[in-house]
Amino acid sequence: MTKKTIIGAILATAFATTLATAQDFPSKSVDYIIPFGPGGESDVTARFQQPFFKDKFGQDLVVSYKPGGGGAVGWSQLNGMAGDGHTIMGINLPHIIVKPKQGEVGFQTDDITAIYMFHYTPDAIVVHADSDFQSLQDLIDYAKANPKKTTFSGSGKGTANHIAQVIFDDLADIETTYVSFKGTGAAVTALLGKQVVAEWGYTTVGAKQGDKVRMLAVAMEERHPAFPNVPTFRELGFDMVSGAYRGIAVPKSTPEDVRMQLSDMIRDINSDPAFQKQMLDGGFALSEVGYGADMDAFMASKSAEYLAAAKSAGVID
Amino acid sequence: MLEHLMSAFSPLNIFLALLGVAAGTIIGSIPGLTATMAVAVLVPITFSMQPDSALILMGAIYTGAIYGGAYAAILLNTPGTPSAIATTFDGYPMAKRGDGDLAISIACLASVVGGLIGALALLLLAPPLADAALAFGPVEYFWLAVFGLSLIAALSEGEFLKGVIAACFGLLLAMIGISETSAEVRFTFGSNTLLGGIEVVSALIGLYCIPVLIDLVATPDRHLNPAETQRGFRLVEAVTTVLKNKWNVLRSSLIGTFVGALPGAGGSIAGLVAYSEARRSSKNQANYGKGEPGGVIATESANNATVGGGFIPTLVLGIPGTPPDAVILGALLVQGVRTGPTLFSDGANIVYTFIFGLLLATILMLPVGLLIGRFAYGAIVKAPKSALVPIVAFMTVIGAFSIRNNLSDVIIMIVLGIVGWVASKRGFSVSPIVLGLILGRIAEQGFVQSWTIGDALGDLWGQFFGRPLSLIIIAMTLLTFVYPFMPKLKELFSKSAPPPESERERASGGAVARDVVSFALFGVLAAVAIVQTGSLNEEAAVFPRTIAIGMAVFIAIAFVRLLLTRSVKEVSSPGSTPRRISVPVIMLGAVLLIPVVGFGLAGALMGLALIAAAQYERLKAKPMFILAASVVLVIFLFSFGFKDILGVPLPSGMF
Repeated sequence: MTKKTIIGAILATAFATTLATAQDFPSKSVDYIIPFGPGGESDVTARFQQPFFKDKFGQDLVVSYKPGGGGAVGWSQLNGMAGDGHTIMGINLPHIIVKPKQGEVGFQTDDITAIYMFHYTPDAIVVHADSDFQSLQDLIDYAKANPKKTTFSGSGKGTANHIAQVIFDDLADIETTYVSFKGTGAAVTALLGKQVVAEWGYTTVGAKQGDKVRMLAVAMEERHPAFPNVPTFRELGFDMVSGAYRGIAVPKSTPEDVRMQLSDMIRDINSDPAFQKQMLDGGFALSEVGYGADMDAFMASKSAEYLAAAKSAGVID
Repeated sequence: MLEHLMSAFSPLNIFLALLGVAAGTIIGSIPGLTATMAVAVLVPITFSMQPDSALILMGAIYTGAIYGGAYAAILLNTPGTPSAIATTFDGYPMAKRGDGDLAISIACLASVVGGLIGALALLLLAPPLADAALAFGPVEYFWLAVFGLSLIAALSEGEFLKGVIAACFGLLLAMIGISETSAEVRFTFGSNTLLGGIEVVSALIGLYCIPVLIDLVATPDRHLNPAETQRGFRLVEAVTTVLKNKWNVLRSSLIGTFVGALPGAGGSIAGLVAYSEARRSSKNQANYGKGEPGGVIATESANNATVGGGFIPTLVLGIPGTPPDAVILGALLVQGVRTGPTLFSDGANIVYTFIFGLLLATILMLPVGLLIGRFAYGAIVKAPKSALVPIVAFMTVIGAFSIRNNLSDVIIMIVLGIVGWVASKRGFSVSPIVLGLILGRIAEQGFVQSWTIGDALGDLWGQFFGRPLSLIIIAMTLLTFVYPFMPKLKELFSKSAPPPESERERASGGAVARDVVSFALFGVLAAVAIVQTGSLNEEAAVFPRTIAIGMAVFIAIAFVRLLLTRSVKEVSSPGSTPRRISVPVIMLGAVLLIPVVGFGLAGALMGLALIAAAQYERLKAKPMFILAASVVLVIFLFSFGFKDILGVPLPSGMF
């Protein structure tokens, strides 16, 4: 037996083993833990994925909730869970970047093994349909004339909504007041009840509330297909493309090949036209950041961006 | 309209409604299994169903679970779901005096009426009620929470100062974890578990149920005395009682419908508000809290009315009214049904089919609920103590675990149980703690948001006291707060002078010393909280600091009063102290074993140890074996059900 064949045999065995583990997966239902309560964007998009997962990969995707601490309870426990790919958890940006810098929350950003960021909800300024503000300029003019009095509702502090408010105040040179609510639902309720002047929300709010609300601008590179009449901030002269990104992560102990396979599976669901239509109709925007170099580069650039904004928002030191 | 009625009443839908109500009632009766969880487990199943059938099934489970919560509240003093908190106030005293069967039948009737009124409001008045709910801003939520807290006066069992101190303690407990409005980490003492705060459902189980278990093992007496004669459902009596309370039922159902329609409130607050109003306007006010059927009627009609009420913002605004609604909303989105403003205007037939389905499920709840209630009553009354204690203890452990799949929640539950037991023996009743815990975050969020908005507009006073809706709630609060003191005020102005101080019973030196110690302990807690708020930003600090300072002031007043009057309220606790202590010790020991040997085995060992703690007469080998085997069997069945049917990831340990 030559040296070559031995090496070849070893390589082949190694390859076969990898193949075997990869083929074994998923061998049972996959637990998909949402570190929030039901009804939010993380839950809804997980529910969208659920039937496609079952169709494509033959196993159930079981959604469960582990709410608390704005996601911190779930993420701080992620690495203690079984790392065989059958446990995955929803992750959100900027949460996993900003939270660890706000205090002792039981995890660091680097502890989280992000596999795929599959969508984002672009930031948007939303006003009540009865509002006098027809355009973004109307709102800016009012805010300039009445410093602080333009109240925005939004979901939480140090969140995408809050950071968007800080960035935009800076870009437009205005001073507004941000009122933090528990979740998007409560922030929308405050807007519909006219408790606040406007809301820093997402395009999903526009999709859900229909003609009860009006979006003044969206923080996307191009207009959202579901809202062809709503301008982007860029068109109006404000360089702002932002939102909350959502994806999935696995426990640190999950093997490399399973990580890759999961990444490909989520990509597979994302490329299904029926899934895409559901997401876009709901006001979401798809994003395709897979495991590996892509994800590293994405996390690095987003970290720099969010941390700078959070610093000027005063939510971190 | 008629076609929707017809499609709602298809044989399949009737079957699903029946199945849903029965399953929901059973799930709701188990403390820790909530309606939210029951509905969430169902979601994937509904993907393969027609949207209307899926909705009817989920609605039926939801409505059944809210009713089922009454069983544990009445028979074990433990709300099966948070909505049933106020059911314990009168339901358990009724059961204690032998009227548990009557209380359950009354709860069933009240739930059906409340559920029907809520569903009819959803059918006929949804859009205007949704608009009315939107008028509720942060300030109104703040005052609503304060209104809920005003119940302390009624619930502190004659010890008003102790009640207020207990409520402050509950409010501080609610502040633990990451603050919703400021994102600051508060009072966690470095613990990751506390980041998410104290989980309300497990805290409820601990505070209400563990003290019952502790006292159960102390004496050989039966838990509840069985009726001497066969009395059936006592339906005639129940119907008569409900008819006597017809205004109470109507008012409570309307309160429940409206509070349910408020996206930030929910069933527990609806029950508390309805209870408070029923008590205030009742002729039998003095009996409330001592087994007055009106209290059960108020809570149960209100919390089932929140089911219909909660669907109003869910379907009209696309904003979930209650947590189970949030799950249902998600399931609907996947089905391609878009809730929100367009749903009703599109003449969407699915909505009407669903509402008729909900009405149908509510009506079916009458026979189903009465039958299951009869069974639950029989099981709890007939079970020997040495079977009841281990099984209920295991249910509290698995229930507290499954809410967040977290063992630390179980430990918190047991510790709070010990706190609750000690506090109640010292005259601090548990209910004010629970009020503080439930209402704390709502009050704080409303307060900070109103402050931010008022500050931005430069009109703080107008924000808090200038809105008509707020003023109405403030007036109601004052009424409720002052009402319990009315007899005393009358006494003051009437001829008959109150008994002079000297005639009051003076407590022994030991009792006074024990009260001093308990005040000192609460004082230390308040001091720790005040010191800790020093390192927080103003937004996160203002509310807990105010509460802690208020708590310190009340402790000081209570202390001075104690020295002056030497009057101490102690609740005596006859029976075996070692047995009492063994209950929380065994439970804590089992929890520590779970990661090592797994949930089922640790549960079985706990069950066996608790049998020993609760068994008084010596049993022969055979009956002893039957007892032990059946307890272990029930525990394994529960573990299996939670793990394999409900999908709860129970730790399996090394085996």
